[in-house]
Amino acid sequence: MAVREEVVAEHTAAGAPIRQSSLWRDAWRRYLRNRGAVLAAAVFVLLVLYCLIAPIASPYDPYEVDFSQAYQTPSWAHPLGSDQFGRDLLTRTALGGRISIGIGFGATIAILLIGVAYGAISGFVGGKLDDALMRFLDALYGLPYLPFAILTLAIFGTVNFWTMVVALSVASWFTAARIVRGQIITLKENDYVRAARAVGARWHRILLRHLLPNTLGVLIIAIFLELPGVILGEAFLSFIGLGINPPNASWGSMAQDGYQAYRVHPHIIVIPSVAIATLILCANFIADGLRDALDPRTRET
Amino acid sequence: MTKFVVRRLVWTIPVVLLVILLTFTMMKQIGGNPFRQTERAVPASIQRNLERKFGLDKPWYVQYAQYVRNVFTFDLGPSMVLRGRSVNAIVKEQFPRSIQLGGLAMLFALVVGVPLGAVAALKQNSTADYSAMVVSNVGFAVPSFLVATLLIYFVSLKWGLLPTSGWATWRHKILPPIALGLGPMAYFARLARGSMLETLQQDYVRTARAKGLRWRRVVVVHVLRNSLIPVVTAAGPFLGFLITGSFIIETIFAIPGIGRYYVVSVQARDLSVTMGLTVILALIIVVANLIVDILYGLLDPRTREARA
Repeated sequence: MAVREEVVAEHTAAGAPIRQSSLWRDAWRRYLRNRGAVLAAAVFVLLVLYCLIAPIASPYDPYEVDFSQAYQTPSWAHPLGSDQFGRDLLTRTALGGRISIGIGFGATIAILLIGVAYGAISGFVGGKLDDALMRFLDALYGLPYLPFAILTLAIFGTVNFWTMVVALSVASWFTAARIVRGQIITLKENDYVRAARAVGARWHRILLRHLLPNTLGVLIIAIFLELPGVILGEAFLSFIGLGINPPNASWGSMAQDGYQAYRVHPHIIVIPSVAIATLILCANFIADGLRDALDPRTRET
Repeated sequence: MTKFVVRRLVWTIPVVLLVILLTFTMMKQIGGNPFRQTERAVPASIQRNLERKFGLDKPWYVQYAQYVRNVFTFDLGPSMVLRGRSVNAIVKEQFPRSIQLGGLAMLFALVVGVPLGAVAALKQNSTADYSAMVVSNVGFAVPSFLVATLLIYFVSLKWGLLPTSGWATWRHKILPPIALGLGPMAYFARLARGSMLETLQQDYVRTARAKGLRWRRVVVVHVLRNSLIPVVTAAGPFLGFLITGSFIIETIFAIPGIGRYYVVSVQARDLSVTMGLTVILALIIVVANLIVDILYGLLDPRTREARA
């Protein structure tokens, strides 16, 4: 759909500025029709806003230790209770969310950047290089994701936001590269690309002007397809103690705190886990909605 | 078919070499080795001897060649931290548990997930369909550490039905595979449903029905078999993931498998163990992908040429 509209627009040269808006407006309309996706997007935005605002608005300091308040069950003062150091969980979950969601988006963007570079080169150049790069990619699929993330962190020797982003993207960009390559190869056969080539457009213009912009839809979908895996990866690493360290918090490290006390205070592990589950659930529904909206040809039955 | 299998098998050799090379390169970048980390100052001469013993003084390509030879002769060398224990011994002791855990989780995921998806597809838009999809969506989103913790909290602690941890009797082997397999189960259910719905619309299904075949036979012979292809494709990477990704479950249920030991070895900078385990985990994934490709060729003859 997106492609066909582009083709039409290329022929009616005067319609250039309208082209973009109508393409995206169409997608937007289709997205709004999907109630599940709209609800998911709303919850997603609320969750992100909560993570951004709660630490500022809350009367509690998410780092301050107060043992007299330890292990409070949910009450008016602490709507989600408090943890082993008496820190308010409503505030601290938001803080953990900032780091978890931040790392999630950071790593997702890294994955897509690597994927676009690799996939675009492979698909655009084609021929022997494409064969070689794809064979190499096949081999890379043998790499275990979490062990390589752990090794990467061991190489850095420290764990912080950026090392986590790198660790989580090292062995997880393969699918993104494959998606981009497939898209580029399909697009390359379009008449408007042939036309551009025929009128003498140079390769970088074709790539940057005609091919990459048309992969944007696929990439936006890919953000929400990759996000759950990365968020879970961060949570797993932090849960086994190889990720985010105290006093900083991520949802994974908070789940570890909760795990230490689950026999007596089971609610503490539930809170960050539900936050993770909500985020992943939303991401899945948003990805489905975006796929219907941006790429109706591949719509699932 | 034989040609396809042979070509596919030969192709795994460069893949294995590359995977070993990448792991090896990663390992070389990790700062420090256990001999430099000790608080006690080790005399330089002893340190040199230790490094010579483990071949750390040779150029990297010699070390790599040596390592490849070792992997192909199934000798992963001695542990650098636990004196007198070889990586082989550690693998031999702990690996079967991880394989068993991963296999049982896979079994659970397939045996529950595929029928769930199939029933949902056959009764599309019914209550059963919606409930199955809610289960699937939630099951896919909930992190395994919460599932594991809740299972232990209720089944073991509150109701006292099953043990909380360990891997001795069959009673120990119920909760961990469920906790590990829930995510893949949800995924398979969704996949099977989508695939079934697509197959149900095919002309050959309509033909089979039109010529008067019993509906049950149509479903089993025509629909199920053809719908299983995407499930099989997804199952391979998942099998690798289940065996290699069981760090969390092995830790929570105190199962002495390689997932748990992997984390320990990284923390102790026991490089030879980390390296050996990483290579083995990678080999499992390579073999899982190999099996899937061959199964794929069996289920869908069209792919034999394309994927060889």
